[in-house]
Amino acid sequence: MIDRRVFIHFDWILFVSAMLLAIIGIANLYSATAGTGSSLYIKQSYWLIIGITAIGIAALFNYSQIERFAYFLYGMSITLLVAVNLFGKTTAGAKRWLDLGFVSFQPSEFAKIALVVMLAKYFNETSIPRQGMSIKDLMLPGFILIVPFVLVAKQPDLGTALILLLIFVSITLFMKVRWKTIAGIAAAIVPFIPFAWHFLKDYQKARLLSFIDPKLDPLGTGYHLAQSKIAIGSGGFVGKGFVMGTQGQLKFLPEHHTDFIFSVLAEEWGFIGSVVVIVLFLIIIMWGLHIAQHSKDRFGTILAFGVSALFFWHVAINIGMVMGLLPVVGVPLPFMSYGGSFLLTSMVGIGVLINVSMRRFMF
Amino acid sequence: MKESNIWLKFRIFTVLMLFFAAFMVVFVRAFQLQVVEREKLRTIASRQYFKEVTLVPKRGAIFDRNMKELAVSTDAVSVYAQPERIENPREVVNVLAPAIPMDRRELMEKINRNRQFVWIKRKVDFHAAERLKGLNLDGIGVLTENKRFYPNLQLASHVIGFAGIDSNGLEGVERRFDDYLKGNAYRIVDERDAHGEAIIKNNIDRDAAARGMDIVLTIDKVIQFITEKELNRAVASTRAKGGVAIVMDPRTGEVLAMAVSPVFNPNLFWEYSPRFWRNTGVADVFEPGSTFKSFLLSAVFEEGIAAPTDRFFCEDGVYRVGDRTIHDAHNKRYGWLTVTDIIRHSSNIGAVKIGEKLGKEKFYRYLKEFGFGSKTEIDMPGEASGNMPHVKKWSKVTLGTISFGQGVSVTGMQLVTAFSAIANKGYLMKPIVVKSVIDRDGKVAKEFNPEVRRRVISEETAVKVTEVLKEVIKEGGSGVKAAVDGFEVAGKTGTAQKPDLSAGGYSEGRYISSFIGFVPADNPRITILVLIDEPRGEFYGGQVAAPVFREIARQSLPYLGVYVNGRVVKASSLIPGIEYEADSAKIAPAVVSRGIKQGDEIVDDHSSGGNAYIMPDLAGKTVRQVLKISREIPLEVRVVGSGRAFHQDPMSGVRIIPGAVCEVWFR
Repeated sequence: MIDRRVFIHFDWILFVSAMLLAIIGIANLYSATAGTGSSLYIKQSYWLIIGITAIGIAALFNYSQIERFAYFLYGMSITLLVAVNLFGKTTAGAKRWLDLGFVSFQPSEFAKIALVVMLAKYFNETSIPRQGMSIKDLMLPGFILIVPFVLVAKQPDLGTALILLLIFVSITLFMKVRWKTIAGIAAAIVPFIPFAWHFLKDYQKARLLSFIDPKLDPLGTGYHLAQSKIAIGSGGFVGKGFVMGTQGQLKFLPEHHTDFIFSVLAEEWGFIGSVVVIVLFLIIIMWGLHIAQHSKDRFGTILAFGVSALFFWHVAINIGMVMGLLPVVGVPLPFMSYGGSFLLTSMVGIGVLINVSMRRFMF
Repeated sequence: MKESNIWLKFRIFTVLMLFFAAFMVVFVRAFQLQVVEREKLRTIASRQYFKEVTLVPKRGAIFDRNMKELAVSTDAVSVYAQPERIENPREVVNVLAPAIPMDRRELMEKINRNRQFVWIKRKVDFHAAERLKGLNLDGIGVLTENKRFYPNLQLASHVIGFAGIDSNGLEGVERRFDDYLKGNAYRIVDERDAHGEAIIKNNIDRDAAARGMDIVLTIDKVIQFITEKELNRAVASTRAKGGVAIVMDPRTGEVLAMAVSPVFNPNLFWEYSPRFWRNTGVADVFEPGSTFKSFLLSAVFEEGIAAPTDRFFCEDGVYRVGDRTIHDAHNKRYGWLTVTDIIRHSSNIGAVKIGEKLGKEKFYRYLKEFGFGSKTEIDMPGEASGNMPHVKKWSKVTLGTISFGQGVSVTGMQLVTAFSAIANKGYLMKPIVVKSVIDRDGKVAKEFNPEVRRRVISEETAVKVTEVLKEVIKEGGSGVKAAVDGFEVAGKTGTAQKPDLSAGGYSEGRYISSFIGFVPADNPRITILVLIDEPRGEFYGGQVAAPVFREIARQSLPYLGVYVNGRVVKASSLIPGIEYEADSAKIAPAVVSRGIKQGDEIVDDHSSGGNAYIMPDLAGKTVRQVLKISREIPLEVRVVGSGRAFHQDPMSGVRIIPGAVCEVWFR
């Protein structure tokens, strides 16, 4: 199973880009929590080491094996999501963590990868009609989405649920859906929007409203956005320097070590720092799509496409939100935001891409 | 399959382009924020930082030596606007202007400013705060700040000073101890910066942690009150320009009272010209006149140059020294006088003769030792050091005039401190006005203990000088009017012509009349200095200042628990006006009249012939109730504010006479 070619064809571009991001991420985390006596960056470093091991494992065996384990992985993620609903730790009003004693784990992160794998297997085995999928064709993949989606949304973790939905939409659109079906679904959803509004929590409504008009609540939710923009903008072209940021450091910026970590980076490293990080993300995503394009089989293509989409949506939504282009949604930035489960998921994603990349040469 | 493969690749390429486009949007946005708008956003960032700084922690309180409040910080409401959020300025002005109240045009101008945040009015009064509570206007908000409040009005105002609108000390102890009172503002800034709005709600202890420290003065509120009352009465009756009276405990150097006339109300300090704020007892200098002879005497006795019974020839009232002719006051013509008599009659010629015998070097050395010409280093801002020419520049005339207190200038604080050394067996103390600093946990953070500067004269000399100074108060002395019934007083009068600053020399008809003394003479408890600036009519210190000394001593001594030879002093003879707290442990039981008890009722004080009453506790009463009570006494009430009474002056339990003026604060 392991042969010499594995090392020759190892995808260094992906690996190095991901490592650079992870190292920048830990340094940035150190800066963001400096002076608070927090050791989050040390914890994150441990997770990084575990993540590197995960890349190794995910890259080593042939990804066709992953296809064989698809049902198991999917079933496992559903079980964990149910478990979190039953035994999960409640933090800040949401049940998102499974406490395994020595470590807390977020099953919803694992569900992202499982969903990609499961959909890849499904679409690999299903023949898509020439003119695209109809509603009927979407029933089964829709079911594959809806189970983890509902479980995650119930926690509630709307950010992750949104990512699951976007992964699904990306993959199905990529596999081709009839124009009529797309139009039909859109027409069916519109009347439900005011209905869905009711289901949103007050803070979620406030976030959306303050995105539309930040002056509605300058000290509440609009505060996040305004502060984030101020932090990023005050960084200027070259930034204020490592651990020199005032807005992030002085914690004008809430949640600066998780969802708003990018503003800390942008404040301290300026436009140059922002560009470096965004370019690294762009490399990973473009290269992921390139891998999908050149994969030796259909499963590999869909798998690589799904993982790339996962990265894309995370990066686009997070940075878009931090820069005030999108409403505030709790979506973390891969390799940068604090959180072990998500770092691990991202590393596994990189491992999967490397796996597909390596084996396109092996016929 | 081949065709589908190409198709798939095309689709991936499409997605790739879409993703790339999304990233381009992100790049453009980053460029916009970090390059194009950076200056604007940087300004906002720094403004945010400064905005937090202006929020000041609660200022510490100032207490008298018995922990009676002299300065406190109360919550006050300030109104601000966020102009951007006001949709209908006209309507806001219509509602807000009468509520504050405020000029409409001024209000409109503030609301229309192109700013995020504008103060409309800082620290509005109680009524306005009540009215504002009921309003709910978009873009108008209130913040609670702390406001300095001096519950005793003008009492000790020159010592305490005052703090401005941003809670920074501007005068007096408020200014000198500003760093302590203010609290650790920088730490607060960090906390504020660190968590912005969110943490303020979580951190309930913020206020306690941020609070400034409290200051305890050596001032005794009761003695201060007596001193001010008597000084002001004398200044008014002599139609003088002003005056200073200082009461010091000679054993410790603690200032028990320091009164300056004219007075000002620190609650409304901005309504007075800054010259009213000046603590003239510390900041202004004057020529001491004959009171200075006490120090000549000390030097002479210590050096063994002369004994109290030695005689000097007083030249029949005319004595030429160099180019000056010296006369004695009241155009008296003395012949041979003993040293004691020279002091008793305050003969200038006698003093000059003694000074000549002592010699200028020795006299200069003693005066320096007593602290003249250098600051006392009391904890008050703006202290003057006085002018004491160096001995090298002394001519024969200089020696002569300084012997009777001319050609040298001193501050009131220097004089009372030096004189206290005579009362304190020759030990010169450092004058102190602040006793301790108390931190927010109620622990003593800093203590100012009595401090001996140096020994100036021996105890033996001190006793000799005291014996001579006692004679001044006795029949035939210049200070008889300072005599206090039942106590022996040692003191000295002084009458100095004021130097004419424009024409040179001394101006006719402008005097500083003074008296300085300590009592009881053999076991001194208080040293009192009284200065009356430019009295009209009668101007001799013995006539103008000595009675003030007597009144202050007469009322203060029993309060301090001092009685001569175990004599019980009748309460009625002690109290002409107000004061004495019935609950004060310092008053010996024999003095506290049986009729006094605390409570709401007005109790007849039988022991004082039914003329004195006890000030009732008015706290919590309405204006109407207070006025009703005041008619029964009767009492003249000044009503401040509305609502229920929360403070009164005089305080409850204090003796008052019918018709006394009482100030009551309502909220």
